[in-house]
Formats: sequence, C-alpha cells, structure tokens
Amino acid sequence: MAAAARRRVKPPSAARTAILAVAIAGALAFVILSPRSAPPDVETAFPAGEIVVGVDASFPPFALDDGETIEGLDIDLASAVARELDLRIRFVNIGFYALHDALISGRADILVSALRVDPARMDDLRYTQSYFDNGLVLVRRANDPTADIDALGKARIAYEYASSAESLLRNWEDEDRSLTRLPYELPQYALDSLRLGFADAAIVDATTLRLYQQERADWSGKVSYVTSDPYAIALRIDRADAWRLVDGALAALKESGELATIIDKWL
Amino acid sequence: MSHVKLKRPRSLLRALQRNWRGLALILLFGSVLALAVPRPASDRVALGEQQIVETANPQVCAHTLLENEVQEAKIKRSLAMARELGASTIVQFFPWAYYEPQRGRFSWDNADKIIRHANRQGLRVIARLGLVPEWARQSGHDEPTTLNYLPDESYDDFARYAAAFAKRYMNSVEAVIVWNEPNLSFEWGYRPVDPGAYVRLLRAVYLQIKAANSNMLVLAGALAPTLEAPGSAAGLNELDYLTEMYQLGARDYFDALAVHTYGFRDAPATEPGTKRLNFRRAELLRDIMVARGDADKSVFVTEFGWNDHPRWSGAVRPSQRAAYTIQAFEFVAANWPWLESLCIWALRFPADLLSHPDNFTLVSADFKRKPIYYALQDYARGWERSERPWLPPPVAE
Repeated sequence: MAAAARRRVKPPSAARTAILAVAIAGALAFVILSPRSAPPDVETAFPAGEIVVGVDASFPPFALDDGETIEGLDIDLASAVARELDLRIRFVNIGFYALHDALISGRADILVSALRVDPARMDDLRYTQSYFDNGLVLVRRANDPTADIDALGKARIAYEYASSAESLLRNWEDEDRSLTRLPYELPQYALDSLRLGFADAAIVDATTLRLYQQERADWSGKVSYVTSDPYAIALRIDRADAWRLVDGALAALKESGELATIIDKWL
Repeated sequence: MSHVKLKRPRSLLRALQRNWRGLALILLFGSVLALAVPRPASDRVALGEQQIVETANPQVCAHTLLENEVQEAKIKRSLAMARELGASTIVQFFPWAYYEPQRGRFSWDNADKIIRHANRQGLRVIARLGLVPEWARQSGHDEPTTLNYLPDESYDDFARYAAAFAKRYMNSVEAVIVWNEPNLSFEWGYRPVDPGAYVRLLRAVYLQIKAANSNMLVLAGALAPTLEAPGSAAGLNELDYLTEMYQLGARDYFDALAVHTYGFRDAPATEPGTKRLNFRRAELLRDIMVARGDADKSVFVTEFGWNDHPRWSGAVRPSQRAAYTIQAFEFVAANWPWLESLCIWALRFPADLLSHPDNFTLVSADFKRKPIYYALQDYARGWERSERPWLPPPVAE
C-alpha cells in the first residue's frame, strides 16, 4: 500500500518549485504592500486637519462643562490623541441621547465620553481599545488573608443602597453565597465602614474608590474587579482608517505612560 | 486482494415498485417520530385572564419601551410589572418606521401585541408617535439623515399613519402624543428647531386623527426641559417654544398638553424658575397655557423622574431618588388639579444603554426590580412604607 502511494505522488520538478516560490512570494508581497496594510494617512482620514470630538460634558470627572470651559479626564485624553496625530481639536458638547446620532450624521469624528463598549451598537460603531475600566471592585483591608471572593465566607459587605453593587450582591445571594449585606446611603460610607472595621469588604465602582483614596492617601485596600465596564473611544464603522489612527494613538499613550498620568490627575 | 462487486444503483421508481411495503413502513415510522419529537414552542404567548390594576393613586403611570422587545413573553412580563406596580396607565412609543416600512403598506403585528397585552393587564395606553421610515426621509440630497428627520413634504404621510393608528386602536388607545421633544435639534432630525413647522405638523395630524377617530385625544408638545436660548444650535427652551406654538395657532390642534419635567438635582417642591431645570418647571408651561386661554385643557406629564447614576451631573443618590419620586406624587396630588397622569421615565429598557439613562429605570433589563420599584409600589398601592432601608453613617468608636 505504501509503495503504491509513493508511485502516485510525483516528485516536484524544479520548474514546479520555482512557480510555487514565485506564487508565495507574490502573495506575501501583495499582503505586505497592499494599500490596506499601509499606515493610514492622517490627511486622508481627517481632511480638515481637525478632529471633532463629541462629548457629553455632564460626567465629572470625565467631562464637565462649567459654562466657560470643558474639562476632565476625557477632555485631556482626546487632546492627547489629537496631539499624537498632529491634528487641531474641537469639542462638541452633546447630551448622551444625541451622541451616537452626532457620530452617524458626521457632526463628530469621534466620541470620547466615558462610553462603555456596547455590543448592540457595533453595526454602526467601532470602538478603540479600552482606556479605563470602571467596573465594580471588591475592596478588602490591605492585610486581609482571603484570596478571592469565594473565600469570603459570611463576610459583611458594605455597599451603597440601591446601587449596582446591591444588584450584584443580590445576584450572589441567589447563588447561595451566604453574605451579610450592609447598605449605606452613600458609597463613601460603605468605604468608611470597611476602613473603620464595621465591614469585611466593600463594593463600589472603580472611580468612586479612586476618588475616595485621593482624599485618604494614608489608607489603601486590597482591590479586585468583580465586574468590568471598559470605557473606549467610538468612531463610525465606515471610518476604518480614522479608527486605526485613533486606536494607534491611544496605544502610544498607554505605552508612553501618558494615559496613566492623565488618569492619575483626575482619579 | 479481494474484489468487491458493486451493486448498480437502482432507480427510485424501481425501488418504490419493489419495496413499497418497506417504504410505507419507513414513512409510517417517520410520521410517528415527527409527532413524538418535541418541537420548538410557538412565540405566541397567551394573553391570560383580564386583569384589573389595583392602585390607591390612579395618576401613577409608567413609560414603557416595548417596541424593540423581540419576545412577546417579555412584553407581557413588563406590562404585568407595570400593573403590579400600581400604574393605571402606560406611555408607549409606536415608531412609524416600524409599522409602515413602505408607503401605504402597514404592518401592525408588533403594535397589536403590545396593545393587546396592555389592555389585558388593565392598563390605559397613551401612544407616542414618531420615527420616520426611510422612504419618507428622502431629502433630495445625499447627506445622511437621522430617523427623526421629517421633511415638510412628508407631514401628510405622517398624519395618515397617525390616523390609521387612531382608527385601528379606536377602543384600546386613549391618546396619542405627536412627536417627541421637537424643541431639540437632534429630535428634529438635526435641523434648527422650528415651532412653526411643528404647528403645521400638529395641524395635519390633528385633522386626520379626528376624521378617523374623534374620541382619540391628541396631545401636543412633549417638549424637552432645556435652557437653550433662541438661536442655539441645540434647540430652544420649552417655554419660548410653547409660547411660539400658541402665537402660531397651535391652540386649535390639540386636546391636552404633554409635558416632560425632570427633577435633576432639586427636590420636588423646589420653586421653579425660567433659568432652572426642575420638577415644578411644568408649572411655567401651565402658566403659558392659562395665559393663552387654555386653562380648560389638562396636562399629561408623560415623562418625569430622577436619575441616580453615580457620575452624571444631573443625578441624585439612589436614596434621594426614591424619596423624591414619592414626594413628587404627593406634591401633584395636593397642588396640580390640572394634571391627568404623572408618568415615570421609565419602567424598563429591553437592553441596557450602558450609561446614565439606565439609572432612570425601575426594573433592570433582566427584570430585576430595583429598590425604587418597591418604594413606588408601596406608595401607589397604599401599602405601609418602610423607613430608611439603610444603616447610619459609620463613625469611629
């Protein structure tokens, strides 16, 4: 059987090998040199030399319009992206409900507005990589020996009444986790409860925790994310080149540490 | 090496001729199997028995968003939750683009489902009409248009849709709201807002609706609370907009005013002001109605509420949201005799929007009742309310 098989397979001739090599080289050259893989051209992607940023400036500390200026983490981030791309920048303050329409109708090039990645919008939008995760975090005392949330046992967990943390804890209860819930009127009280020893852990969102720690530099906890809410920049789906440029600029800001500096400034 | 003799394939006809008994047996077995194997359940959901809303406050109303709900079971469940809340009325959006995808060809399945289930739950329905199908958005140029773009030449088409709706749901829908927040540019198709154009639209819709169903109430306005000054690209404040509507003859073309009034960061009883957005701003709109001789018309607040998002600058804390919402119902019961319904925005979204609007809802997308749902339910149904379901602030010992 093996001999018969060998007889059916002809050894490749020199000519065949040459044709195959030329074909592979051609395919590689096409992939490497085709316009699709060339770095996008900033002038083509943003022909006006300007990047128009849609932002809902009612989200401190990400963006807030005080009547005279717009400032915040998102504003600094968008400005840094524009600098990376050597573009002028213009902000358009738009309420959340109108943000996506503004992008689709071309009134904004990008949205930088504490936007969570929404799979339902991916027919119309492209998102860049995330620049901040505002998920819920479980905070324990720095010297807490428990390894993860499963090891918390009957821990007393502090949280803000009626917040998303309460929804999460009620889901955990449905999964038969025996926890003791400690509701407080404000999320700061939940963290106070942990800090002062009334609770074994607290659940708040990442922004709340960072703002709390800004005011109490002498206190820190052991932090683990229990949900993920990644914030990203959004562009219209048909602006692939602009998306590659903006995403690349964001990657560069991460690499250089400038993104971390911006986040530390505001949170 | 052995040789295997292959049988020639026989024709189907010959096979049938020779093996008809075997084939009959196979067919019989197949039929039995087909009947025995469970098939996917039909999407059709039983309406169930006729329900009655139990409420101690019939002004309680909830804005639902069922037009994008794919599963009928979820439509029914949402409406049952509205009834259990103690809401006597719902406001529901019926997008024109969904029901007349081609000029003159109506497809009412989705609307039928929603209205049938709402009525079966004992709920009164106020319908909000808007959202323009592509065929009616042709603007004569290539620029993309949004779903709120309604060119003048399509006003009569929209009016015909509204009339067809009013006729079809003659005994099951109580009122229709003509458009949503036309004083915002983006709700007006990203064009400068135009009270005159809105009055022309209102007139066209009113006349056709009344010709089709004279009992259908036509609600105008549903203006957004905003401080935008005349000339702003974003829109025009609702006080100036309503004044212009009256100046341009709107009075004859609506039966009652739909009002949106949000509390933002103020408590419900906080005094209103022309430069301040709060719950009692609705009183300023009422003053305009009275000044224009429309005191006999009633007001439906078709959107109101507080938001408890932790970051949004217009939000309050969840504990405040629950308290303010109840206080608002108590306030209007004592002070707004001209009010017909107070509709909270919103009962539930079919899917999370992943930003602060999610914090306006009473029920999560996955049907989890939020604490504010229970607080409002206690009030609406006259049940005893628990005080302060949270602990006092922790203090160092």
